[in-house]
Formats: sequence, C-alpha cells, structure tokens
Amino acid sequence: MDEKIEKKYGKGVGFERIARITGYLVGTTDRWNDAKQAELRDRVAHK
Amino acid sequence: MHNINEVYDILQVATFDKATSSDMKRSNANVNTDSSMGAMLTYGSETARLWIDDNVLPWFVKDAVDNNFVYIHDKDFYGLTMTCCQINLTKLFEDGFTTGHGHIREPQTIGTAAALACIAIQSNQNDMFGGQAIPAFDYYLAPYVEKSYWRNATQLNKMIATLGGLPEQYGRVSELAWNMTVEQTEQAMEALVHNLNTMNSRAGAQVPFSSINYGTDTSLYGRTVIKALLKATHNGLGHGETPIFPVQIFKVKEGINYEPGDPNYDLFQMAMRVSAERLFPNFSFLDAPFNAQYLRDDPNTGHSDPDTEVAYMGCRTRVMSNVNGSETTSGRGNLSFSSINLVRCALTAKGSFDLFLKNVYQAMQVVEAQLRHRYEIQCNRHVYNFPFLMGNHVYMDSENLDWTDTIEEALKHGTLSIGFIGLAEAMTALFGEHHGESQETWDKAYSTIRFMRRFCDDKTEEHGLNFSLLATPAEGLSGKFVVKDKEDFGVIEGVTDKEYYTNSFHIPVAYNIGIEQKIRKEGPFHELCNAGHITYIELDGDPTANIQAFEAVIRCMHDNNIGYGAVNHPVDRDPVCGFRGVIGDTCPCCGRREFEAIAENRRKEF
Repeated sequence: MDEKIEKKYGKGVGFERIARITGYLVGTTDRWNDAKQAELRDRVAHK
Repeated sequence: MHNINEVYDILQVATFDKATSSDMKRSNANVNTDSSMGAMLTYGSETARLWIDDNVLPWFVKDAVDNNFVYIHDKDFYGLTMTCCQINLTKLFEDGFTTGHGHIREPQTIGTAAALACIAIQSNQNDMFGGQAIPAFDYYLAPYVEKSYWRNATQLNKMIATLGGLPEQYGRVSELAWNMTVEQTEQAMEALVHNLNTMNSRAGAQVPFSSINYGTDTSLYGRTVIKALLKATHNGLGHGETPIFPVQIFKVKEGINYEPGDPNYDLFQMAMRVSAERLFPNFSFLDAPFNAQYLRDDPNTGHSDPDTEVAYMGCRTRVMSNVNGSETTSGRGNLSFSSINLVRCALTAKGSFDLFLKNVYQAMQVVEAQLRHRYEIQCNRHVYNFPFLMGNHVYMDSENLDWTDTIEEALKHGTLSIGFIGLAEAMTALFGEHHGESQETWDKAYSTIRFMRRFCDDKTEEHGLNFSLLATPAEGLSGKFVVKDKEDFGVIEGVTDKEYYTNSFHIPVAYNIGIEQKIRKEGPFHELCNAGHITYIELDGDPTANIQAFEAVIRCMHDNNIGYGAVNHPVDRDPVCGFRGVIGDTCPCCGRREFEAIAENRRKEF
C-alpha cells in the first residue's frame, strides 16, 4: 500500500482538540504541561 | 547558590530535547520552544532565574519560595519589565506612532486601522512579558468605518461623474458606498483574526497574547465592527480552524445588549452563537456592582464613557481602581504578581483555622514586600527601555516623560497583585471537605479570601500603591507547589493526591455540581478578587445544538454577579476531512479512528 496515500487519508494523523487552558485557548492540548493535562482529564461537565 | 552545571543542563535540554518530552519546555503552552528562537528564549529565561535567585531576591523572599509558600511569576523578567497593558487605540492613532524605523500617520480606512491595531499589539508585546488587550475595540475602530464610508462615497461620485453622471446613479451612492464599507470592514476583521494568529513576536517563538473587549458601542459604525469580527470568528481561519487569538470578551450590559429591545441585543445573541461554536467570545458583566460602580457618562456625547467600562485581559486580569489617578481602564495594567500556596498554609496549620490564617498573613507580608522590591527595580528603568510602551505614550502619564527619564510617574498607575492557588485543597486539608460541599466550609473559604482582600486594601492605603487580590490564572503554577507538598506531607486524599492544585477559588474540576450551584458558589469571590477572576462552566456535547442552554448559563452568570465568565465545551477537529464538533473515538464525518486512515470504500467522498 502506498504510505503517502494512507497518510493523506489520515494514517498517523491525530484529532485536534482545543480547550481553554486558563482564560485563553491553546492550539492543541499536547503542548499543555503535565499538570494542566491531568486537570483537563479530570474536568467533568456541569448539569 | 546554583552551580554552573545547572546552567549547562538547562542549555542541553533546551537545545536537544523535544518539548513533548520536557515539562520545562512546555511551561507556557503558547510558546514553541522547539523552534530555534524559542530555544534561545528558554536559554535566557531559565538561566536568568538562577541569577535572580542568587543575586537579586531578598533572603526572606527566597526562604518563602524555597519553603513552598510563595511563587514569583515571570521571575526571569524580574528586573526587566511589567506584565500587561490595556491599549487605547484612539489616543495612539490620533497622535500617530513610531515603531522604530519611521512615523505612522493616523489611518484613514478601517482596513488600515485594523492592520495598525495588530502592529500596536505586537510592538507593545515586545516591551512586556504578559498579554496585550484592547479595552474598547468597537469604540476605537468605529471612526475608521465612517472614514471608509466617506472615502467610498467620494470615489463613487468621481467615478459616476467620469462616466457621464445620471441623477439616478448619484442617488444610489450612499447605498453602494455603505455596502462597500461593510465588505471592507468584514475583510479588515478577517485579516485581523488571521494576523493575530500568525504574526510572531518575541523573537519568533509565539504570537502576541492578544485580547479584545467589545459589545457596548451602539453606533452604526461600532456595530458594524462587532458584527464583522463575530462573523470572522465564526468563519475561522483558512481551513476553518478555530482562532486561538485574539481572546475576545463581549461586554454584557443591561440597557445596551442584555434584553430584547436593547440596541445591541442582536449582537449579544450573535456573540453567544459564535461562542457556542468557537469558545470565544468570553463574557464580561458590567452590571456586577463592583464593575458598575466605575461607569460614567462622557459629558461630550451623553453616552457611557467606554474608558469607564471595566475591561479584562483574556487570562482574567482586571485593572480599575487607582489611588494615584484616574479610575479608567486604558493605559494601565498589572506590574507584577506573586502567588501564595494556600494548601501549604493549611497543611502546616494542623487543622487550626486560626493558625492557617496566620500562615496566610505571613505569606502575604512576604509577597507584599517582594512586590515593592520588584516595583522599585521596575521604576528605575528608563523610557528608552520601552520604546513603544513609554516612547509612544501608551502608558498612562508617560506623555510627560523624556527619553532618558525613569518611569515611576507612569508605573504608579499599575497594579501589584497578590494571587493564590488551591483554596479547595486548603479547605479539604483543614475541614475534610472543600467549599463546594457545605455552606459551613464555604463560609470559611469566603472569610479567608475576604481577609486576603482586606490585607490588599490596607497595603494600598499604607503605601499609596495599587495592591490588589488576584485569582491567579496559574498555567505554569498549577503543578509546581504540589510536588514539594507531596514530598513533605505525603499523599493526602483530596489535597495532594493529584498532579495539580485547583485554580484560585474554583470548585474542583472533578466535583459533580450543577451549573447554577457552581456559579452561585463562585460568584461572591469575583467581587473580592479585584485583580482578576473567571468562572468556567463545562458543557458536554455540542452547544450549538442547544443555544437556549448556553444562554441560560450566561444569564445565570449575569444574575449572580460574575465579573468574567466562559463556557467550555469540546471543540474538536479532524484535519483530514475538516469536520469540527465533538469527536469521540471515531470522526462522525469520515468515520476514521484517530491515527488511522479513512476506510477505502469511503475515500472518494473526501
């Protein structure tokens, strides 16, 4: 299989997830520091 | 004392490690420290900290830092510059300005004005370590929409004259000129949003931390600016990406945009629709008593003076009261801030609330002295150290300063802020539950923060400086204090059992609580934290499908005297098919799983 075509259709490509870090946003959450990433994982929705 | 090997280690990591594997390189998520210029910034920033520790900080401050009670934010910039500023574009544009290689005249169209707004933000950011905000973007840019309109009308008249000029053609000029103006304004706002996500500052490592406040200008021209900006935000960037900057803050105000029939009610509705999709704008509430108290009418226009409307920096910083001059937003900002580890104060109090308050008081005394120590160094900097900020008279009262003057006369209008983190964990350490769990503990939490605010007010009076209490944003700080507290006190449930401490006065993010309950419990802290505050509500699912629910949250914030609030919801995007919305394990649009390719039988659709 052609690797280039596979890549074009998404092989190895992650989803972008944007979240508010502390008033402002950050492009994708992989640049967050470890502590803020842990906090993000813990966030629950309010009903 | 630090030794030279620590410097070598820093340089080594900054040069060769990837940011994803080095927490040091991710201390600020919006800085690309993998880039060459970002790494150079890390060299300077991380090694300066060692020098500040050994040669600049007073011993008692260093003690409090080493003992994990106090954290000095942006310590690398200790003696260099200040945090942030709210820029008055009207003043800057009317006088014209200089960026270092020539003079810029007042803009004559909305397109140029929007471009120069970006330049002003970028240039000022290079003089400071924090963010840059525009406090009344709609008011400031409205005159240039009008200028564009008259320019368009003049050109149309000329063209019609050249083409022979029939009376019915002249009759359509105003309509055509207006249509052109709206289109030009939309282009200008689209360019502004694109520019603020691409134009680099600080040696290329990041874009400016820009924030824009708007929503209350009811003039035709101001409304056109707001509508165009919201439309550009809705459309997103080139591939539909959600714009990260500028942070947008929509000012909510009764009689202006809050109720049906208010002149900007339609724009408030539009702002909520855009925010439900794009996370911005956030919302600020001018009717909250601690914001409303500053509102004044402009004697010249009879309308509200936008400079008396409280504006926020995107992160949450708020600057308004002023013991040294006019209580207005523009030309001012925070000078520096340091935060107190409330959890440490609680853990060392062994269950005694009185001892806890005593610890808090001692930590505040250290911070207050440290902020003044830093202020003295800042005041001895010169106008020539800040070619844009002071050289172009952006800062309040800097217009009377000469190039070689020191800057105390300007800086006295800024704020010195004492921040805090971990109110929830501190309460849990003392009482076995946080302030979201019972009224009794909430009362204790509230009296703690009220005690801290009184300390700031007392110091303001004593020193004639603007001390204020900050609900610290704590991006980098969130995980710092807990490491040492865990070492010294072990893992304590609800206190040191996570990788982070809960932000400021927030109810813990993992705690199940209703929307209204959360807003009611956090609202009263907004009034106390006069240096800045924010409350978030997390919604699951896609709020664009239920705008009424989104609006209910914003109205609940307004009714409970929140100063600044935002709604969080998942904004995911699949870069392969371009879908944006909520993505779980698989993309609802193209059906692929993360890191896998789209199934072969569906590829021709994309």
